[in-house]
Amino acid sequence: MSFLTDIGHVLLTADLWRAALEAAVLLLLPALGGVISERSGVVNIAMEGMMLTGAFFAVVADLAWQNPWLGALIGILAGGLMALIHAVVSIRFRADQIVSGIAINIFAAGLTLFLVQRIYGLQDVGHVGQSSLLPYINIPLVDQIPFLGRVLFQQNVVVYAAIILLVLVQIVLFRTRLGLRIRAVGEHPQAADTAGINVYAIRYGAVITSGLLSGLAGAFLAIGISNTFVPNMTDGRGYIALAAMIFGKWRPLGAFVACLIFGLGQAIYDANSVIHVSQYLLSMLPYILTLVVLAGVVGRSIPPAADGLPYAPENE
Amino acid sequence: MSTQPTEKLAVEMRGITKAWPGVVANDHVDLSVRAGEVHALVGENGAGKSTLMNILYGLVRANSGEIIVNGTPARINGPRDAISLGIGMVHQHFMLIPVFTVGENIMLGREPVAGPGLYDYGRARKEIADLTKRYGLDLDPDARTGDLPVGLQQRAEIVKVLYRGANILILDEPTGVLTPQETDELFVVLRGLVKEGKTIVFITHKLREVLAISDRITVMRRGKVVGHLTTKDTNEQEIATLMVGREVLLRVDKKPANPGAVTFRVENLTANSDRGVQALRGISFDLHKGEILGIAGVEGNGQSELVEVLAGTRRPTGGKVLLGDNDVTTADAREEREAGVGHIPEDRRGVGLVLNYSIADNLILGRERSALFSWRHLLLRLDAIRAWARRLVKEFDIRTPSIETQARALSGGNQQKIIVAREMASNPKVLLAAQPTRGVDIGAIEFIHRRLVAERDEGAAILLVSAELDEIRSLSDRIAVMYEGRIVSFEPADAPEERLGLLMTGGGGSGERTGAA
Amino acid sequence: MAASSATLGKTPGPRLPSGLRRVAGGFAVPVGSVAFAFIIGAVIVVVTGGDPFKAYAGLLCGGFGLACANGENSALQISTTIVFLTPLLMAGVAVALPFRAGLFNIGAEGQFLAGAVACTIIGVKFSSLPAPILLPMVLLGGMVAGAIWAGVPGVLKATVGAHEVVTTIMLNYVAQWLIRYLIVGGPLQLPHGFSASPPIGVGARLPSFLPNDNTLIIFGLPAGVYRVHTGLIIAIAALALFAVLLWRTALGYEIRAVGQSQKAARYAGINVSRTIIVTMVIAGAFAGLAGAIQIAGVDHNLTDKYFNDTTGFDAIAVALLGLGSAVGILFASILFGALHAGGSVMQADAGISSSLVQVLQALILFSIAANFLRVLRVRFPTFGRRPQAPAPETAGATLMTESAKAPPSEST
Repeated sequence: MSFLTDIGHVLLTADLWRAALEAAVLLLLPALGGVISERSGVVNIAMEGMMLTGAFFAVVADLAWQNPWLGALIGILAGGLMALIHAVVSIRFRADQIVSGIAINIFAAGLTLFLVQRIYGLQDVGHVGQSSLLPYINIPLVDQIPFLGRVLFQQNVVVYAAIILLVLVQIVLFRTRLGLRIRAVGEHPQAADTAGINVYAIRYGAVITSGLLSGLAGAFLAIGISNTFVPNMTDGRGYIALAAMIFGKWRPLGAFVACLIFGLGQAIYDANSVIHVSQYLLSMLPYILTLVVLAGVVGRSIPPAADGLPYAPENE
Repeated sequence: MSTQPTEKLAVEMRGITKAWPGVVANDHVDLSVRAGEVHALVGENGAGKSTLMNILYGLVRANSGEIIVNGTPARINGPRDAISLGIGMVHQHFMLIPVFTVGENIMLGREPVAGPGLYDYGRARKEIADLTKRYGLDLDPDARTGDLPVGLQQRAEIVKVLYRGANILILDEPTGVLTPQETDELFVVLRGLVKEGKTIVFITHKLREVLAISDRITVMRRGKVVGHLTTKDTNEQEIATLMVGREVLLRVDKKPANPGAVTFRVENLTANSDRGVQALRGISFDLHKGEILGIAGVEGNGQSELVEVLAGTRRPTGGKVLLGDNDVTTADAREEREAGVGHIPEDRRGVGLVLNYSIADNLILGRERSALFSWRHLLLRLDAIRAWARRLVKEFDIRTPSIETQARALSGGNQQKIIVAREMASNPKVLLAAQPTRGVDIGAIEFIHRRLVAERDEGAAILLVSAELDEIRSLSDRIAVMYEGRIVSFEPADAPEERLGLLMTGGGGSGERTGAA
Repeated sequence: MAASSATLGKTPGPRLPSGLRRVAGGFAVPVGSVAFAFIIGAVIVVVTGGDPFKAYAGLLCGGFGLACANGENSALQISTTIVFLTPLLMAGVAVALPFRAGLFNIGAEGQFLAGAVACTIIGVKFSSLPAPILLPMVLLGGMVAGAIWAGVPGVLKATVGAHEVVTTIMLNYVAQWLIRYLIVGGPLQLPHGFSASPPIGVGARLPSFLPNDNTLIIFGLPAGVYRVHTGLIIAIAALALFAVLLWRTALGYEIRAVGQSQKAARYAGINVSRTIIVTMVIAGAFAGLAGAIQIAGVDHNLTDKYFNDTTGFDAIAVALLGLGSAVGILFASILFGALHAGGSVMQADAGISSSLVQVLQALILFSIAANFLRVLRVRFPTFGRRPQAPAPETAGATLMTESAKAPPSEST
């Protein structure tokens, strides 16, 4: 079995695990956003579109100002703006959240392509210079630890940020008043309302946060990992993040584990040169694994009770 | 009779009007609740009681009128305002999150803080323990709410309201889901609360509870206040007359029954409720051709489950059901129907009808594959369906502009007539009628009663389940009383109401009587 | 509150015949949504420095052959629109039918691709068979593949309650990666070729309406350039079948009952789980047929353009815009077919990226889903009297599904 020995060989390299963590973080950010949004009761399948928008505007801003931080900020805000549309349509107008999510994804794909042409004509978007990329930072001392140092402490700044965000979201959701209220709104909005909680405010906040996180992921992809924008560059990562969210049972840490698994798959895919199995078959794995989880083979994954249901007070 | 100026008022509502599109739920309603009293708000379903209280709690905004709380005019734009005014509400459908613990549910919205944004569950638990001790409400704050029995969930709701510092408690139909024993416990709690100086508004349509717990009464009918009463100066008859608007005379003309052979035999039937609790604990009875057997009982004693099992929409866990010589114990809904069991379900809008279907389509629900209405189970015979619908609309006096009208657009009484027509028109051997006249107007009630008797006279065996004891007594030829999943007694049709009431609440009877005759 | 609708139904006013009124009311939302999308789209064009009139003139020319500025051939444009709309008709049904059962089939794309793959594999492997045998084989093969692709979510939904939206999304990507696997270095790739499969056998191809004869000149162009193919007939037949299935069969009655109220369906003795599975399988067969016909009628082989195919996603917009009815799907397919065909003309004539079409499509979806029109009417009472009470429920994304969830409790 040359396939297995190849895999075994690759698994031993620190570079593979480093790449896996990086790929995982790219999925983790939108997955965290999905967790927050759905915990508040708004189904979000629009992480793909929010990421793509974030990626595009991060590149636009970075090219304009040669400043990756500004680029990232604009990317984050662009993602948040897309999320705001999703929020208004599905909360204020009580639209079907799935239709709205699909619309966001189509809108993002169409709009970015449209704008590429309006802004850059038929040429390429252009490349962001090396100095204007989100930097990789080696953390002194610990980065010298054999193997682990390479994997954990020679990463992009966004990777560190994402790990902090992961811990933060986990704590916020399960240890804070805000988190309790977010979960209450996602389980039983009427109960939350009668307890004096502003259901709409919580939901708007949660959905917009999901957009900010997805926008950051887009920026990371475009001006961290890559250095330009190409149409449809997210290539389904927003959907894999959705899968990770479900796989992780709507919990931040669970989603992270799923992202690591998927990220490892991605890293192996990228190391394809030494593996004799189709990268495309490997790419199916996250989706098939999620189906298996959904089928209940590995324990049920149950969404928040009010996930996807618009909230209409009796009054209206 | 209304307010006495010397008394301090906790709540005063003046000229409250609320119109929904097409219906006025509250029409210039006045209500005054004295501090420290139990005020009963009574009326039939749909009289506007809940709307009024939802307005007070800020869930519904009135079109006009004013609210004065503790002597100060109040603007209540949402539950938050109501809570800050010391108003709390225990809703008919509990506002509890099943996956949260009781403690989390109680503290929600008013969580004690431990650190930056962090909540302090320990402190909340202690506060809850203090409250429960003070009011004698036994409750485990760490239990998962969804696992608790309904009575305890309601208790959690009450504690939740108290935890928010409410002085004025609104309870919307609190006893509807409780067993008689739990109701008694609730009343003890309420009296304790009043002793502590709380004011209670108690919504109900059960007269005995009104007399048992309240100090004063406001009666509503069709969105209007029709009377303010003082409990100790009134009686059931007076309240009932005000509620319904005329002397209730549920007299049904019928000949004595002429029961024939046993059509339906139920032996030692057991089944579980949706929550997996045993709801039927060995039910046995015989139902004869040409008789109406009434099932009396407080709601929630297994009547719903019994009907569902017999209709094939719920699986029994044991026992036997025979239709003639046919074993239909495990038959599904379609097989039961084909075997000749008609079923008028208790949930008209949710179960008995597809509200967005036309009347014609609703009239073939469950029979769409019968040879009468479809060709080889495949193509619908639209002409036959239309002819059938036109016939039934006429025969059952369904008031509708056309047979293509959506069922949703009809009144409750006419909706119910669609179901009655459909279930009777196939000449069933057995008819299961669950709450057949609930929430319909008096004209429809009389019509449905006449049809049930006519069906009996034509030889159907009818099982009538109703929460209205009057209905049971005036229609049935025999009465079976259900209590906690068992038939505790078979009674003659003319059994005195007092005796039935006692049996229904677990008293009186010396266990099972003559049994299946 | 239950009584409210009864009184509303009899709102006084001009008494149009109810059928006519229903049709007029039914068109208001989709037409309004399209208008909304075009207005916002124009704003986007203006803001980015383009001329919306030129852009839309390009779309009109490209889609319907009208008002062409640069001498485009009208007949060819219409032919192109028809080629685009043909698969949309069937894929639209694949979304609309599950809608009626209360299911949201996001997976028409995956089912479409599965159908295309099956058609290609059969068409290539048995390329020597004659058309009377091979053509039914490839079409049936496509239907079966689509049915399987949709059946899995159906079974998962019916048995373990897995949400069909998520499962169908996952299967979309599985299908996409499957195609990449097959034609990029996989077993279906042409030797030494680009990312494409070998062509299917001649017997597997659907004939065009016009002979592929470049000496025959029709509307000023050789007949061979018009690619309108007989798949259109199959698509229209499929659409008619959908209407009959839904409204004239016992199964359709049951599918709709399940979508309206599962409780009522159970009470009626309808096997809800089975109905869900059957609905998905039938829907998948429609989408799979669309995929097969796209291969058999237009492309004749799998190419890398299927990596970016959006037919199944367009179908969601088609089904929603068409309010789930056969006639609606027909009109919505024409619109989206024309938009796709018009996009390239707009790009060439007006210099506006054809991706504006996607933007318009998204805006239509937003508008339909949010039902902005209804909200406008509620907020400004003078905007127009509310029509019959049930009208809002028939529109929007909750359109055919369980709309009974919302109303507050019956008591008081």
